[in-house]
Amino acid sequence: MDYLYDGTFEGLMTCIYYHYKKQKAAGIYELSGYQQSLAYQSEIVETDISKAKTVSDAINKLISREAYIHVYYCYLSNDANKENLILDFLIFAFKYGRNIMNFYTHEKVLPINEIYKRVAREEHRVLGILRFSDIGGILYAKYSPDNDISILLADHFADRYKFEKFIIFDEKRKKAVVYADNSWEIKENIMIDNFEFSLNEEMIHKLWKQYFTDLAIKERENINLQFQFVPARYRKNMTEFKMP
Amino acid sequence: MVLRQWRCIYSMQPIFMVMRISQKNNPDSFEQMFDICLFLLYDYFTIKDYSFRKTVGIMDDNLFEKLRILSDAAKYDVSCVSSGVERKNNTVGGIGNASAAGICHAWSSDGRCISLLKILLTNDCIYDCKYCLNRVTNPIERAAFTPEEVAELTIQFYRRNYIEGLFLSSAVEKSPDHTMENIYRVLELLRYKYNFWGYVHVKVIPGANPLLVQKTGMLADRMSVNIELPTRESLHILAPQKRIENILQPMSLIHNEISRAIEDRSHFKNSQRFVPGGQSTQMIIGATPDSDKTILNLSQNLYDKFRMKRVFFSAYIPVMSSPNLPAVSSMPPLLREHRLYQADWLMRFYYFKSAELFTEIEPNLDLEFDPKMIYALRNIDRFPIEINKASYEDLLRIPGLGVTSAQRIVRERKNAELSYDSLKKMRTVLKRAKYFITVKGKYYGNTKFEPEAIKAEIRMKEIQKQINIFELL
Repeated sequence: MDYLYDGTFEGLMTCIYYHYKKQKAAGIYELSGYQQSLAYQSEIVETDISKAKTVSDAINKLISREAYIHVYYCYLSNDANKENLILDFLIFAFKYGRNIMNFYTHEKVLPINEIYKRVAREEHRVLGILRFSDIGGILYAKYSPDNDISILLADHFADRYKFEKFIIFDEKRKKAVVYADNSWEIKENIMIDNFEFSLNEEMIHKLWKQYFTDLAIKERENINLQFQFVPARYRKNMTEFKMP
Repeated sequence: MVLRQWRCIYSMQPIFMVMRISQKNNPDSFEQMFDICLFLLYDYFTIKDYSFRKTVGIMDDNLFEKLRILSDAAKYDVSCVSSGVERKNNTVGGIGNASAAGICHAWSSDGRCISLLKILLTNDCIYDCKYCLNRVTNPIERAAFTPEEVAELTIQFYRRNYIEGLFLSSAVEKSPDHTMENIYRVLELLRYKYNFWGYVHVKVIPGANPLLVQKTGMLADRMSVNIELPTRESLHILAPQKRIENILQPMSLIHNEISRAIEDRSHFKNSQRFVPGGQSTQMIIGATPDSDKTILNLSQNLYDKFRMKRVFFSAYIPVMSSPNLPAVSSMPPLLREHRLYQADWLMRFYYFKSAELFTEIEPNLDLEFDPKMIYALRNIDRFPIEINKASYEDLLRIPGLGVTSAQRIVRERKNAELSYDSLKKMRTVLKRAKYFITVKGKYYGNTKFEPEAIKAEIRMKEIQKQINIFELL
């Protein structure tokens, strides 16, 4: 049986629930991208929060918090086969219990580890290279990450800019973190355009660009190293790399 | 109101400190005390009204000029670290927090990370250090920021997530005390008027009053005193006005205060922190004929005695001609700097002592191979090391094997014996390590187990790689 879920984490957890309680899953797929296979029947799983919670709690309690975080990060990744990797991992992990993360190179665990590392690395990188602009008192940042990491950024920036209002907009997924008055939420399927920079904005951009160029030591120039740290795909949304 | 009371209490702390100092050794402590009390009184009565503000203030074309001159002058300071402090933003109307891992925000075209807004308060210097662009006899443009300008720039950059905080340094204007006081003013403005709680790293001006250093330390996250050159003689030749005592004294002061603050904190949860990010220092490489051995022995001492977080090295870039300095046309010794950093890492994370890296005959690090490799070749009798049995410390001695890999190995081998294949899966870098390990008793090096043979093999691999690249072209 192939289970199809709606793309939410709770949906995925519900599928895992049905795998144990109803019928074994051959695979889990996202509803929108699914192609009917000949080998297995498919069933659309309706997301059930309480069932999802049962599974999350079980992962936290019977396996470990670390494993839960790994699974969650893996869910946020852009890996095409992530649902099945998670399913395989969880089946194996429920069998072995607490020490599962010590099996770093096991074939079921290694992919989860590698994907986790990829997502966590991007998260950390974006914490640094996200660029806000002031539009009428609101801070606005646009970016297009490889993985769906918006939710991971929210807390960090909510604490940092506690008394500001900000929007972090994911171009690729048309998704945004909106923060105001001590709380944030994720808005999906939105478009943001037609905004105007505040009065001094252009000037601050210019100041930053100038600082950025001045700080480089000519005698030590190393463009390749710079590309390693800031790959070209991130540069289009970064103030210092934008042409005037 | 609460804020003010708190400020009053923390203002008292320096007095206690000075009393301690005076008890110890100072005959003219009374005079010093008097000065300090005056300063504190002045401090307490002048800056009081911190109303929260949000508008963008002074920003004009003048600022561009100043930023250009003063960031250009600051760029040779190496440190741009924003790690070591975890702090949530819980102030009233405040902005900013600090993350323990540190965050890099941009990378300039020399590949160095930009984490902090690195500027000088002024580049107008009374000293005449031969290696420095800002020395008094050098005819360059001079400029100075006002505290408000620095604060404004920091806040505006910080709001847009360009930076993690501020790195504030300064040339010595008028006197060390005057300069240090100015630095303190900026910090105070930032912390209390602008309510900025991001990362702040400040330079300590050697020779400044200990009280000022102490007060600044209450507000900064990291402090550093540049040691500049590794020996007294070098310092005397190139920076005749600087004295090594003036550099070491604030270092030990900061060290003592940090220990005290940590001790206090273990008893009182809310006691004031002092330089929670620790202190660092920096020295110039290649401007004087000092050997690597001298440099690393000194760093070892600094780590042991003052619990330094980092000792930075900066390859000297010849910008001025002087009979005591390398010629202007010579290249900066970047590779040497790299090797020194590798050795530095060995001392900080790999349980190496500086003495182990050198022999009697050779006081410099090898430029062809990294220090750990050279150590292993010299002590070949301690190798090969069995991956499945060796202790964590021994694993760290294997060339090419880092902390992450070693930890992973230790964690993984609890389950089952490791094979060569699982090392590969773990993404352990085996390029150099394979000559120095056995896995389940088997040696995978494909050479004779002799230093020269291993060296020759690695050189050959390197040449083959280059040939392959040429063939691709």
